[in-house]
Amino acid sequence: MSIVTVQLGQCGNQIGFEVFDALLSDSHSSQGLCSMRENEAYQASCKERFFSEEENGVPIARAVLVDMEPKVINQTLSKAAQSGQWKYGQHACFCQKQGSGNNWAYGYSVHGPRHEESIMNIIRKEVEKCDSFSGFFIIMSMAGGTGSGLGAFVTQNLEDQYSNSLKMNQIIWPYGTGEVIVQNYNSILTLSHLYRSSDALLLHENDAIHKICAKLMNIKQISFSDINQVLAHQLGSVFQPTYSAESSFHYRRNPLGIDRHVWPPLSGLPPLSKMSLNKDLHFNTSIANLVILRGKDVQSADVEGFKDPALYTSWLKPVNAFNVWKTQRAFSKYEKSAVLVSNSQFLVKPLDMIVGKAWNMFASKAYIHQYTKFGIEEEDFLDSFTSLEQVVASYCNL
Amino acid sequence: MGRRRQRVDPAAGARAGALPEAIAALSRSLPSGPSPEIFRRAKFDRPEATSALWQLLFRVLSPLPAGNALASLALEVQARLVKSALCSQGYPRLALAQLPEDGSQGSRELLLALSWLLARGPVPEQMLAQARVPLGDEMTVCQCEALASPGPPAPHMEAEGPVDVRHVQWLMGKLRFRWRQLVSSQQEQCALLSKIHLYTRGCHSDQSLSHLSVTEAEMLRDPEGGQQVSGAGAAQNLDLAYPKCLHSFCTPGMGPRTFWNDLWLVCEQPGLLPGDWAAPLDPGGASACSLLSPFRALLRTLERENQRLEAVLAWRRSELVFWRWMDTVLGTCAPEVPAAASQPTFLPWVPERGGGELDLVVRELQALEEELREAAERRRAAWEAKAGGCGRGPEWSAARRASREAVEKELGALQQCWERDGGPAQPHGPHRLVRREDGAAGDRDLRAAVVIRTLRSQEACLEAVLRRLQGQCRQELARLVGARPGLIWIPPPGR
Repeated sequence: MSIVTVQLGQCGNQIGFEVFDALLSDSHSSQGLCSMRENEAYQASCKERFFSEEENGVPIARAVLVDMEPKVINQTLSKAAQSGQWKYGQHACFCQKQGSGNNWAYGYSVHGPRHEESIMNIIRKEVEKCDSFSGFFIIMSMAGGTGSGLGAFVTQNLEDQYSNSLKMNQIIWPYGTGEVIVQNYNSILTLSHLYRSSDALLLHENDAIHKICAKLMNIKQISFSDINQVLAHQLGSVFQPTYSAESSFHYRRNPLGIDRHVWPPLSGLPPLSKMSLNKDLHFNTSIANLVILRGKDVQSADVEGFKDPALYTSWLKPVNAFNVWKTQRAFSKYEKSAVLVSNSQFLVKPLDMIVGKAWNMFASKAYIHQYTKFGIEEEDFLDSFTSLEQVVASYCNL
Repeated sequence: MGRRRQRVDPAAGARAGALPEAIAALSRSLPSGPSPEIFRRAKFDRPEATSALWQLLFRVLSPLPAGNALASLALEVQARLVKSALCSQGYPRLALAQLPEDGSQGSRELLLALSWLLARGPVPEQMLAQARVPLGDEMTVCQCEALASPGPPAPHMEAEGPVDVRHVQWLMGKLRFRWRQLVSSQQEQCALLSKIHLYTRGCHSDQSLSHLSVTEAEMLRDPEGGQQVSGAGAAQNLDLAYPKCLHSFCTPGMGPRTFWNDLWLVCEQPGLLPGDWAAPLDPGGASACSLLSPFRALLRTLERENQRLEAVLAWRRSELVFWRWMDTVLGTCAPEVPAAASQPTFLPWVPERGGGELDLVVRELQALEEELREAAERRRAAWEAKAGGCGRGPEWSAARRASREAVEKELGALQQCWERDGGPAQPHGPHRLVRREDGAAGDRDLRAAVVIRTLRSQEACLEAVLRRLQGQCRQELARLVGARPGLIWIPPPGR
């Protein structure tokens, strides 16, 4: 069951590289803590899911790289090739020499239609290489122009052309005090459009990961590369094969709730001997939770705390809302690791904040002309606000 | 004078030999058919024949092809299922419904029931079709199941309380998810089938087919796995091997080169391809024999199928003898009054006499039942008052009938639309998938392009109906909303 990754924009491409790197190095890591046969099954499954075979044995990532500037893509391609362990496909990237100027409208209304055919062609070739194609994983940021605008456009196209495949968007939530002044506009436009065309939105907040780097990992000078690596590790431990019921992992999604699911930041927990739950959980209602456990003593791990009905909505029983995926095989260097993927009210506060800020700017019509110049009218803004308010309201009423 | 009158006339003597043969043919043609001796004992209503006949009836009547799970059901359970199946098919004799389910008596009734089933339809042929060994890759193209009647009425759900619409949305999401998984695994299966057909071009001895099917290719690829195929379960194992071997074919990054590497490693000696079974092989070579075992297993299965087929033919030739004999069996039964209008329900049989304790329990249960009935009545009355009689009452049933008729009319219209626009009517039953380069097709062959065209036109019809219904829903919603002042209707962002 193969996944095709679409990396969009500077952020998407950098993170995408880290993700593939993390996946492959985990797959090659010797410390398995499991039998050899299981390790081989794990490796084979990981390889088939994210990489395709090449003549000389170097796996090629099943990825499509898209950016409007050539710099980041070239860096990404060369970093991958340098590693010697894997690489990107030769014809798997699309770039221009233009850039999007952090303008969502430019990415969506100009770049999108102009380059639609080329991009979809590359994606189609990648999909055809898969024996058993299960879905798309789209990595993008919300704040910029290419990742967000073009990303929304591409996701919409994928929904039209591959309506039977699953699409999951990995979205990077910008820093609250970010440097792009119109990032809130970009964010709400992205989110509202993605809410319609995507099946799952996986959110990572830069602020949250920054805190992890600072407090848990004690990194002094936190660079984007550190942040990306943490992110990649979190994603890797979600995506690597696990055992669900009886057989080894397929790319599964639980369809959760109100048409689409918006997943708040992963609270990825680096090696801990015992999982410590955030006490706030009692004030946070979830639609669904997924816990993924890897490594030693995985069978005896106690997840009963997650089955408390108080954590979930009234209309869904914990047995339907909570899932555990386990595997003996440890991830990367971690002897034990646990990841929590949660569809809950965690996201209400950040979302509300962004919507509030964007509304304030909109009320004074700041910078709107840059968007109307390229075809995004005030109506579209209002639609976006409406959708997101609905999302916030639905989550508040859980 | 002189010739002693024989008790049986010569014609009957010929018949006497023919009857066991006929019954033997019948029992060979049915799956795990009982011996002719059982039939004879059943005529005289001997108890030892009963359980074998219950089991045979169960095999014949159960809707699914027999598997181990079904065979392991207890005799009582099988007997009850047989009774209810016969009852639903309209079996006229009451005596069967009243038989005890422990297999202690009633073999003659069971024999009569069996012959009733045999007289109604081609039972041995149907059983044969169920247990057929599919050598090729098959699929059905006809849509008759899709347009069948709306199906049995859904079980009436008592309203437990207001159902949260979000739960319904969640369920819809789950359904959609499963649907997509189904579609993608079907696509995967098609891609793999196509690969196998492509890579094994020219391998088959049968020129009209020219490539191997999955079953045949699996035989070549995995001789060891074939050794598990044995006995009566052969047919099922091959069926189960089908999806399994599809996946074992899809080794990551497999291309034609790796496929043929595997294959030629196994079959270094020529003459081991499926068409050459009959070719004599050098017996001195253990590897040759072990490589042959999947073929032997397949051969065994096919031979068994042939035997069943021959038994069915023999049965058809000699069944007249059997029916004449059944007349005599019927003659030995007491005449029965015509079946009452209502069949008895199959409640567990409680002994009449019991200890004093049992009486106490019975009285308590009856009192409880009374209480519950009253409570239910009260709640029902309250609910009806609240719900305003919707869901019950003559208006509701009239509305339901009307909507059912509307649905049937729609289906009929759809069927006509399909027949009009679509190509020739699709033949029923499974078709073998064959990939051909030259595009030559026989008269009875169905071209994929034609099938695809027909299916597309059917899809277009269905989509038109869906759009019309969606439009009606939207109008209805708008009307409802318009009737309430002060309500703002925000439709979901259209796509």
